Amino acid sequence: MSSTALALTVLATLLASTILTPLLAQLRLSRYAHFPAILGFAIASVLSLFMLRDVFLLGPAGTTPGLSLDLSGTYPFFDLNLKESPTVWFHAGLLKVTFSLAIDPLSAIMLATVTFVATWIAVFSSGYMHGEDGYTRFFTIMCLFVFCMCLLVLADNFFLLLAGWEGVGLCSYLLVGYYYAKPSAAAAARKAFLVTRLGDVGFVLGIFLLWSAGGYHTDLSAIFAHIQQHSASHGTLTAACLLLFCGAVGKSAQLPLYVWLPDAMEGPTPVSALIHAATMVTAGVYLLARCAPLFVQVPYVQIYICATGGLTAIFAAFIALTQTDLKRILAYSTVSQLGYMFMALGTVGAITPSIAVAAAIFHLFTHAFFKALLFLGSGSVMHAMGGVIDIRKFSGLRKLMPVTHITFLIGCAALAGLPLLSGFWSKDQILDSLHHAGEHSLHYRVLYEGVFLVALLTAGLTAFYTFRAYFLTFWGEERIPEEAGHHAHESPRVMRVPLIVLAVGAVIVGLAVESFTRHGFSKFLATTPAIQMANKTYEREHNVRSQSSPHFNWKVAGMGTTAALLGLAAAFALYRRGEMVAVPAILKPAHGLSLNKGYVDEIFQGIIVKPAEIAATGTRQFDGLLDSLARFVAFIPRLFAAFLRPLQNGLVQFYALGMVLGLAVFAFFIVFKVSR
Amino acid sequence: MISVWHFLSVAAVLFALGLIGFLTRRNLITMFLSAELMIQGVVLNLLAFARFHANLSGQAFGLFVIAVAACEAGLAMALIIAMYRRTKSLDSSVWQNLRETGVPATIDPDALIQPPLELADDPKLPAAGKKPQEVAGV
Amino acid sequence: MNLLAATNSGNAIGQLAAAVILGVVAIHALLPRPKGRSIALGVFAGIAAVVVIVSWIVRQFGQPSQGQVSLVLFWLFSGGAVLFSTIFIAQRNPARGAIAFAFVIVNVCGLFLLLAAPFLMAATIVIYAGAIIVTFLFVLMLSNAIGTSNENDRSREPLLGSLAGFSFLGLVLFALYQGSPTAAADALKSEYHLPAVTMTSTERTTLLTLAEHAGVVSIAATREEMLKTADGLRESYADLLGTSDSFTDELDLARTNRTMGERMAVRSDVQADAIKAQNLNLKRAVRKALNGLDNLSMKPEATAAEFKESTEDFAKLREETILLAARGELPARNVANLGYALYTDYLLAVEMAGTVLLIATIGAVSIAGRKEAMA
Repeated sequence: MSSTALALTVLATLLASTILTPLLAQLRLSRYAHFPAILGFAIASVLSLFMLRDVFLLGPAGTTPGLSLDLSGTYPFFDLNLKESPTVWFHAGLLKVTFSLAIDPLSAIMLATVTFVATWIAVFSSGYMHGEDGYTRFFTIMCLFVFCMCLLVLADNFFLLLAGWEGVGLCSYLLVGYYYAKPSAAAAARKAFLVTRLGDVGFVLGIFLLWSAGGYHTDLSAIFAHIQQHSASHGTLTAACLLLFCGAVGKSAQLPLYVWLPDAMEGPTPVSALIHAATMVTAGVYLLARCAPLFVQVPYVQIYICATGGLTAIFAAFIALTQTDLKRILAYSTVSQLGYMFMALGTVGAITPSIAVAAAIFHLFTHAFFKALLFLGSGSVMHAMGGVIDIRKFSGLRKLMPVTHITFLIGCAALAGLPLLSGFWSKDQILDSLHHAGEHSLHYRVLYEGVFLVALLTAGLTAFYTFRAYFLTFWGEERIPEEAGHHAHESPRVMRVPLIVLAVGAVIVGLAVESFTRHGFSKFLATTPAIQMANKTYEREHNVRSQSSPHFNWKVAGMGTTAALLGLAAAFALYRRGEMVAVPAILKPAHGLSLNKGYVDEIFQGIIVKPAEIAATGTRQFDGLLDSLARFVAFIPRLFAAFLRPLQNGLVQFYALGMVLGLAVFAFFIVFKVSR
Repeated sequence: MISVWHFLSVAAVLFALGLIGFLTRRNLITMFLSAELMIQGVVLNLLAFARFHANLSGQAFGLFVIAVAACEAGLAMALIIAMYRRTKSLDSSVWQNLRETGVPATIDPDALIQPPLELADDPKLPAAGKKPQEVAGV
Repeated sequence: MNLLAATNSGNAIGQLAAAVILGVVAIHALLPRPKGRSIALGVFAGIAAVVVIVSWIVRQFGQPSQGQVSLVLFWLFSGGAVLFSTIFIAQRNPARGAIAFAFVIVNVCGLFLLLAAPFLMAATIVIYAGAIIVTFLFVLMLSNAIGTSNENDRSREPLLGSLAGFSFLGLVLFALYQGSPTAAADALKSEYHLPAVTMTSTERTTLLTLAEHAGVVSIAATREEMLKTADGLRESYADLLGTSDSFTDELDLARTNRTMGERMAVRSDVQADAIKAQNLNLKRAVRKALNGLDNLSMKPEATAAEFKESTEDFAKLREETILLAARGELPARNVANLGYALYTDYLLAVEMAGTVLLIATIGAVSIAGRKEAMA
């Protein structure tokens, strides 16, 4: 099969699982609802690995062939034919939207990551969600989510991408609100949906701006090519890139729209692992990576992206320092890591785009493994602790849950960036990119250097809060909350196996593809047509030759590792007994600020929600006024109706009498008026 | 030959009388027969025009009207029986549940004057096959 | 009746209004009610209403017929129908009402017969008097109301109901009057007859004798016999057979003498046109028969085919003559013709009527079936 056919098969398989799962509920086979999901994800995963190999060996596929339905009067009556041009989805005036897919290293890597992680998370979920109400609903939405995510990743058309983008947003909403009877979950779902919607408004506007600037194409590759040839006006391009970034900010939870992600932890833990750590939230990163040919042309937007990423990273890490909810710590850590990726993307244009994008995508890739692992680990803990997730309430689970302990430790180490683990390589590449940008950027050297320092600091903070959570959970004397009762035990095998698989992944993926001088991942990714295009633009504008691959910088790696080790040491010193420690007086204000999440929610409450509420109250009063006016107007016909209502007395003969009298009047009119 | 106008006039009178019967009489069966009376007026019209135009179309249609009237009779009888089973009455005014909410039910203003039953001391023959004593007590 | 027509003056609307008011009073007085029912007033007002309306009909539409027999029969049947209808709607006892309705049917069937529809007459009597009435009498017996009851001894809105019915009747009659040729004549201030020109008995006798003679000619065995009888025919009916147009073109002449406006006024008279067409057909048949006869007499030795053709022409002449002579009478073979029309022109309609009957039967059975039995 060609790589395009493989991609189509992946989509078809996932769609089939989506349709099949609810059918099982109809057949009263709800307890087997995980079968279609796991099977579909596994098939999709294998197929996307084949696709990855094809793309690796044969290079990116060309344009997507379309399918045309040939209806005829002769047998076999209809036939599916392959066409040269992609199938048109809809066509209105200048707007023409096609089902074109991008089969290149970028999408192949993303697809493989998404489907692989999804498979193991689905296996974990079948154990974790066992016996829950709405088991079928969970897996149906899960299938739909993975389908939409794959559509998003594979789309080479902005509208197709938007369809996947909104689809994953919808699934996120549905899964965050999975326990919809719980008010906090319903509110969190609403918040997630509305906040990302703010970003999506920008995204849609950006799409239309690009559509008009890019020669009325909707295909990404066509728009890039058009803008490359006819250089669009700088203002338009800047606005379009800012709008796209706005969408990415909403989806990938950057400042100031990150507030929804921590609340989204109200959903089931596997959902947090899959959607809110490994896949969906990285959609913004993916979008920016794919649009690198545009972003490379607007350096000050890049500055903005880089600064946003940096601020988000350190701010989220700062908040994570004092949180006591294990899942929230991980959520803030996700926000922080996404900030890292945006920092890397912000260097596109300052350094060779392929290297910057590779750093971001590589971090995305490794992050998917270790963050999914951490979330599943926390899910395992939560499962054992009877739903309790507050790290103050338990400690010393080392002996009780050995597998969870070891895998969680691996995840923490990878997240902290301890040497040789996957997080180390990817974080090092980002730091290296920033360092490099600080040296080579034409105009914004100081800023990039500042961001580099922020990133280093964040690395230290990351190690601290990660190991703080680890020590508080697994070290010290064994304490188990009452809710767990006597059921505190290691998770069943169906949950342990995914942990082990992902832990192995978290250890080896970095070493396997991107260690020291082997830069297979970066080189492979650099063959993506869009990134090649960005490279060419970079070469033209900066009049330099682009670097073929990053080089391992011992100095930067040493600095990063030192920061991580410092953080680890601090966490060990403070929390190795598995208990909370008192905060010294001098740090009280900072502690309070962190504990209260930087008062961001309160600030939003004050500057956005309160005025809106006041306006709503006023509008409501005005509406009441209008209502009473309308009621008054409605009262007049009511008054007339009071006279006429007795006519409707339910007697058939009375109605017939009315009919005859009316007919008589009509006949009178005809006889005396019309015929004369 | 009698002109068509005379027949039309007679038909109109029959139709009007049937209409009045339908509007005022409350017995379901009388109402139905009044409707049939109206149909007779209409059929008379059709036949008069058939004669007037010297062809058979009107007669053919008269036949169809009679066929439809026969269907109607069957269905009406079935409905009347079903309704009688529900209320034990042939009064069409019993059925007024579909009136507007809040409108009081229409009730008859003054009581019926029950005519005196037949004289009690009239001799009555016992039913066949029964002993006189059994009836005597009635 | 003529007397009444002459003595009643006033315009048509006034008379109709009087009839309507009298009718309302009569029916209102007759309708069953617990209190205030007055049969004497009802009968009196009813008779007055009938007198007024009959005089109105006679004045506006003329006498129904010249022939005494059909005149008597028409008034008898229509009077009976109206009388029994009134009894039917005023009758308290529904069973007696049903019997009155049966009499209405019988009278209406008499009117059907006058309208040359014997098959429909028979069908109506069989279906209504025979089936429907009997069925409903059964139902009435099953319900078996004793004494007074709401449904029989009360009326729903008697005044409004009769007012609605009679005002409707008045409007219909007035519309008839407006559409009738008499009204056109009134408007033109001219006096002439209805288009349905009645044939005198002399004319009919002449036509029938002609038909008889034509029949004799048509069955002639030899040429000589035929020529001889045909000569007699030609002598006897010279005025009819082509030498004079006095009869056949009578209507045309009468028409051409009229003014443009008058012709416009009666143009919609379909029956007159139908009669005219029949006259033309007769004329053509006569011309053809006589031409054939002339050819036959010219040639001493005619072929058998020519002879046969000539006799056929005479046979056709006979049929046309009978048809014209029978104008206004009961057409022969009504049942056969109706059956022919039903199974040729109206075949689909007949099938559909049969289907509707079947469905209605099934529906009636399922509606009336006891729910307990079904469960």
